[in-house]
Amino acid sequence: MSKTFDRYASIVFILIGVLFMVESRKIAASSYGSNVGPDIFPIGLGLLLILLSIKLFIETTKMKKEEAKGEKPDYKRFLTIFAAAVLYVVLLEPLGYVITTFLFLVVGFQVLEKGRWLKTILIAAGFSFGVYYLFVHVLQGSLPGFPI
Amino acid sequence: MDTLQFLMNGFGIAMQWQNLLFAFFGVLIGTAVGVLPGIGPMSGVALLIPITATLTSGLDPQSAAASSIILLAGVYYGAMYGGSTTSILLNTPGESSSVVTALDGYQMARQGRAGAALSISAIGSFVAGIVSLLGLTLLAKPLSELALSFGPAEYFSLMLLGLCAVSGLAGSSITKALIMTVAGLLLATIGMDNVSGVSRFTYNNAYLYSGLEFLTIAVGLFALGEVFRTILDRDKENGNITKVGRILPTKQDMKESTAPIVRGSLLGFFIGVLPGAGATLASFFSYIAEKKISKHPEKFGHGAIAGVAAPESANNGASGGAMIPLLTMGIPGSGTTAILMGALIMYNVQPGPLLFEDNPEVAWGLIASMFIGNVMLLVLNMPLVKVFAKVIETPAKYLLPIIIAISIFGVYAVQFNTFDLTLLLICGLFGYFLTKNDYPVAPLVLALVLGPMIENNMRRALTSSNGDFSVFVTSPVSLLFLVIGALWISVPLIMKMRGRSVIINEED
Repeated sequence: MSKTFDRYASIVFILIGVLFMVESRKIAASSYGSNVGPDIFPIGLGLLLILLSIKLFIETTKMKKEEAKGEKPDYKRFLTIFAAAVLYVVLLEPLGYVITTFLFLVVGFQVLEKGRWLKTILIAAGFSFGVYYLFVHVLQGSLPGFPI
Repeated sequence: MDTLQFLMNGFGIAMQWQNLLFAFFGVLIGTAVGVLPGIGPMSGVALLIPITATLTSGLDPQSAAASSIILLAGVYYGAMYGGSTTSILLNTPGESSSVVTALDGYQMARQGRAGAALSISAIGSFVAGIVSLLGLTLLAKPLSELALSFGPAEYFSLMLLGLCAVSGLAGSSITKALIMTVAGLLLATIGMDNVSGVSRFTYNNAYLYSGLEFLTIAVGLFALGEVFRTILDRDKENGNITKVGRILPTKQDMKESTAPIVRGSLLGFFIGVLPGAGATLASFFSYIAEKKISKHPEKFGHGAIAGVAAPESANNGASGGAMIPLLTMGIPGSGTTAILMGALIMYNVQPGPLLFEDNPEVAWGLIASMFIGNVMLLVLNMPLVKVFAKVIETPAKYLLPIIIAISIFGVYAVQFNTFDLTLLLICGLFGYFLTKNDYPVAPLVLALVLGPMIENNMRRALTSSNGDFSVFVTSPVSLLFLVIGALWISVPLIMKMRGRSVIINEED
């Protein structure tokens, strides 16, 4: 419920609408024997999105100013976990599933609550090995294994 | 007697041992999802799609589709049972559909009648489940026959109606809901255009040719968005759990709740059939209705058993009712049914009128399995409610990272590429910021699922009319759908302008 967020969001949505409309014009003309080409739908939607975003922008100007309330979101923990998740995704293929999952879970558990290392390691190892074993050996699925 | 014959065949499929197992795990996981405050039915179903996809990979496509939809639907209605547990014991609803249950349920628990409240809500859910299934069985054939007579113009208008209905009820601001819907439709245009074969907005990125994967978007927006919110808002307190006590309700309890259960079931079913109005709205309305009807309205809010029985029946009735537009017309009326529809499409099964002709085993197998699943839930929830009450105590610090890990595993197992994983994380961020600022994400997912079909039908209709847009208003059925859709959006707006408060359907 933040006025500032809504204002920026409406501008971003207008830009998205414009982008879709401009880019739709570049779509190759259809070879299909119809005057209803593949560009009509996105152009129409882009226009609609722009109109709706303008409406939202006008609505935000009417909104009352709100005071910030409540405690500040926990950005520190979130960013640590998010960064860990990004690393997890990046390293998943080169390092393999078991190692990355184990590391991610250990970091995740410890960031949310420090201590209890034994339990952390047991659960993280159980999950990463368990999922890998079940998926690859029992269900014959495919996951990146271990780095050789 | 056709229907009965089909239903019997359906039971034949649902009774196969692997499908019994799938139904059992579906309702079991569903109950757990309902109990855990962190994940709702939408993220629960989305998270399980990749897992069922791998579990069923050995089966032929038809039975694979039947088995996985049996499990996924089990999660959906199982969550309706489980949602009441936390409402009653903790006063914190596990699902938005159980918010009103907390009003009287928690009061009952404080008076030492937690067991009775829990068992009444299980019984009510069961009755409602059966009522809505009977409705589904009876309405399936006539409705799908009706839908078969629709041409592309009618279909286009009907899907537009579905989108309007969901957007109209989806949040505090209709403008924001509509923006999300249009954004979803735009995202759906990315990839190869399946009418002309021209690629759109792909920029030579190989992953974009097949379009944005709905599963990635859904898991990111719902499951990851919710996890991120929980971490950021430090939302992990665990309250004191009330003791369950005696489970079986007394005769007096049963007597007082019979009528509310029946009313709640019927009301819930009809609300569920309407697109856009889901379980949350159903439970809310039935609570208000009971309070109006009751001879002792002053008891409500102080542990009236009718105030538990009616909304719990209604939300389960609604989840059964919501299957009707999905299965017979191919129009999901809520976020969760949109995800179920996406799952069916992943298996190349197109929900809609042809489903009952082309894939009777999927359609009737699912309906029959829901009968069985409801019986399982009743059995599970009555004696085992104390076990489920323990699930609430799962510490968030283990749960949250594991949900992230399951999301990443699930998306990777289906897509086999890190492009989708990156998209997943980005969607998680969007999910958090959008939901936090009242931009409902359910319409976006619905639009993403319906987008290609809406476009197809629109272009087919326009092609046969030589580009004349009046085709949508000259057909009376299509015009009717468009008018209803327009009303659905405009009536709440007008009510709001007149200063009336509007009830909205918040599905997490």
